[in-house]
Amino acid sequence: MQQRMPTPVTGSAEVPPSGTSEPEDARARQEGDPRVPLSRRIAELEPQQWLTCGLLVLAAVLWTVSLPMTDFRHMGTYGLLDKFSPLFYFSFVPLTAGFVISLRRAGTAPWWPAVYCIALLVAIKAPTAILYDAVRYPWASKHDAVVNHMLRLGELHPHEALSGNMSAYDQWPGFFTLNAGLVKAFGVSSTASYLNWASVVYGILVIPVLVLIYRTFTEDWRLVWAAVWIFELANWVGQDYFSPQGMSYILYLAILAVVLRHFVRPGSAGTLRSRHNLDPAAAAVPPPTTVRQRAVCVAIIAPLIAAINFSHQLTPVMLCVALIALNLTKRYRNWGLLVVTGIIMLIWDLTMGRPLFVETVESLKESAGNLLNNSRPGYAGKLTGAGPVLQGEANVIMVLAVVVLAGAALLLRRRLVRSALPLLLVSAAPVPMFAVNDYGGEMLFRVYLFGLPGAAFFAAAALVPAAANTGKHRVAYRRITAVALPLALVALVAGFFPSYYGKEQSYYTPPAETAMVTKAIGNAPKDALILSATGSFPMALDRYDELEHWFFVEQEEPENIKMLKDPAGYLGRQISKGTTAIVILTRTQETFTAAEGLLPAGGFAELRSKLEASPKYQVIDRNEYGVVLEYHA
Amino acid sequence: MTFTTTQARAAMAVSGWLALAATAAPAASPARWIPVLLFVLFGPGFALLFPQAGQLRPAARLEALALTAPVSLSLAALVATCLFLVKGFSGTSFLVSLAAFTTVAALLPGLPLPAATRGAIERSRKPVKRR
Repeated sequence: MQQRMPTPVTGSAEVPPSGTSEPEDARARQEGDPRVPLSRRIAELEPQQWLTCGLLVLAAVLWTVSLPMTDFRHMGTYGLLDKFSPLFYFSFVPLTAGFVISLRRAGTAPWWPAVYCIALLVAIKAPTAILYDAVRYPWASKHDAVVNHMLRLGELHPHEALSGNMSAYDQWPGFFTLNAGLVKAFGVSSTASYLNWASVVYGILVIPVLVLIYRTFTEDWRLVWAAVWIFELANWVGQDYFSPQGMSYILYLAILAVVLRHFVRPGSAGTLRSRHNLDPAAAAVPPPTTVRQRAVCVAIIAPLIAAINFSHQLTPVMLCVALIALNLTKRYRNWGLLVVTGIIMLIWDLTMGRPLFVETVESLKESAGNLLNNSRPGYAGKLTGAGPVLQGEANVIMVLAVVVLAGAALLLRRRLVRSALPLLLVSAAPVPMFAVNDYGGEMLFRVYLFGLPGAAFFAAAALVPAAANTGKHRVAYRRITAVALPLALVALVAGFFPSYYGKEQSYYTPPAETAMVTKAIGNAPKDALILSATGSFPMALDRYDELEHWFFVEQEEPENIKMLKDPAGYLGRQISKGTTAIVILTRTQETFTAAEGLLPAGGFAELRSKLEASPKYQVIDRNEYGVVLEYHA
Repeated sequence: MTFTTTQARAAMAVSGWLALAATAAPAASPARWIPVLLFVLFGPGFALLFPQAGQLRPAARLEALALTAPVSLSLAALVATCLFLVKGFSGTSFLVSLAAFTTVAALLPGLPLPAATRGAIERSRKPVKRR
């Protein structure tokens, strides 16, 4: 509670007195002091508090009632968008309204907006975890296969060459070994039992870290919670699935929080020491620390830096980039921390991660400087189908909305921007990464994700003006934002769903389809070649250490057009003599290749019919979701 | 150290062993995975970051709360990876290592991070020009 965390006195390193004044004591009794009996607290609730509570309950009831109405098993091109019931969408009206009302008293009751933020997270990210009877998202299944692989072997083989560069997971194993531990400790058969909940767990864990970062730059709880709310809605990128990057992102933000709070150099605050030069909502610059204290902090965050480095390839690079950006400011010029971070990264990259690191460095010669190519999303194709196209457009609109709002804050809240400049720099730091590498078509999304914490903060700053301003223009600004805030939040909710659930048809695979794939791969002899149009389907990489894989449509579209003319011959020419080759074609692959524009309209059906008609490909299994063929030379 | 803090530290010290005991419950049952998950997510980090007794720096509690899970996850991933590297991985060795670490951490006074700025050097006393 705010009254228990005294505000630091500007210009002093002294801890302010912890005692509270009489009115604050009275408010504490009303706001949730545990010494006051619950019955008395309920009896003393004001109408506004009843409204805050009532709207949350209403939203929860509507959401809970509407969820079972979602016919996710029959998704079409719009994914879940036209399968969620109207009641589901309507539940976000009281949720948003209640949040806006709770913001008014965020200074004295910050737990209400906190509860609303958690409710929002559950409301937007939990539906698939609750509804689905299968693993959501094929890449999550791939990561499940990695954990199974490690559990089967009980050791790591980072330098073993595996099909499809899968040895990279042994080179950056932190996330997978952790989950191997959880699988064993939970007593479950695989991570498939719980991996659909990853986005909810990650989302809940990241909230206090974000709050900590935002509280470093503002004392206004309204601004803090509005920023968290915007962050949740703008986090449609989908990197918070069961993945190393999801976990590493939380660690990355935690490191930034420690750095921003504990690495201020003495005498660096300059004119920001004076409250007069700060925005009314801005927090004082954190107290400076000595070299020794900063050295202790480096030792404390070293395990987090190490964990990022052995869990994910890109996040340590983003961390170094962010630290370089912070070194541009006098306030956070800590070359020692940057050097330590760089050394930890290099040690890992040159030992465990050496094979992929060397390969990546060599590929940089081609990709460096190719801005257009590095910033394109996905594979070579163009999104097709109403749902994926809508999702692509919604993504662009969501990015623009957040950027425009944040840009408005840069103009309207200049004093706040000045004191929160480190956050702005950290958020803008990943942008130059476009010049380096395309990261498998995902660099655009990663840059957006790493820029989001700051972007959400400044977007919120544009919508939540400082309460202390009394000038004529300021009053008008406050009146405008009183309308703009709820409108913007509703618009962001509206933009989130197509951005996040527009391609859901590719992410849900019926259990019968996965059972067919599991059986086919389970029966394949060791060293057999598994062919499929794409690797984007559950269980595609089951037994990946024993089998070879060829996802033959994951290439430039012109090559696929060539392949479609004679798929049987095209594939057959590249299968070595004596190799057992199994072709698996499923509905999930069809949906993915169509959505990503890898094949022309009807291309997948043509591919399947031509292979089935070929005498060299014998059908060994089929059901309503796909077919399995064996190649005979 | 007040009585309450002692109790909290004692609870943290045994939390890992309770999680280990929970693995005796039927596989995948809530009685098993809930305590294990809570311990792995929060146990080691909380034992390390539990605010020291006495007057706290502003937002020290928030800081401990926010960093508990990231620190715990880091340590759990470190422990699991090291066990794989020495070919000594098992569910029991994973939990025993974390529980032992947590017990030791709970007996220590706590990391200086939440109090890192306690007694921080005085800021520059040069007069500030007011606009």
